[in-house]
Amino acid sequence: MRLGHVIGKVTLNATEQALRGGRFLLVQPFGKPQFGGAGMNPLAKGATVVVYDELGAGLGQTVGFTEGAEAAMPFSRPTPVDAYAAAIVERVFYHPPGPNPRA
Amino acid sequence: MQLARIDGVIIATACHPSMGRYRTVICQPLDEAGRDEGVPVLAVDPHGAALHSRVVYTTDGSATRELVGDPHSPLRNMVCAVVDPPI
Repeated sequence: MRLGHVIGKVTLNATEQALRGGRFLLVQPFGKPQFGGAGMNPLAKGATVVVYDELGAGLGQTVGFTEGAEAAMPFSRPTPVDAYAAAIVERVFYHPPGPNPRA
Repeated sequence: MQLARIDGVIIATACHPSMGRYRTVICQPLDEAGRDEGVPVLAVDPHGAALHSRVVYTTDGSATRELVGDPHSPLRNMVCAVVDPPI
């Protein structure tokens, strides 16, 4: 699972039957500084991911999303989803050894 | 499987029910010399590994689903071993 900031929403019109009614978020995955508390400005580098969301994460929240075959597991029917929001993260306790990243 | 160091935990109340049983820890992948390599990832930890301890986590989703006992769990990474500190 990876962490990411919710930076937007995606609305689909022509979709697969299985994706109809789904809620999709635009998530910018965390870089290492974001774990230490760096915010969304500037955004972490890297590809933005479209994540299927059933928890109702809002803009600016941190979500934990899984990718790959595991992302399609929560669905009863086969669904072409490969990024799934598994958690809305409230607190991140990040204390690597060495100097405190927030100090 | 990947060698990693535990650098923290996350707290998530709104989450998939399969995440409720075990802690979700922040794992910093390490290279062969033990230096940090890449961005931290999250894993389910049934062993209660201590902060900064070195662990081995697996990216095999089927083993994780078996651990949490939920065939519909989206979880993938699981801490499957805690590495003994070097003597």
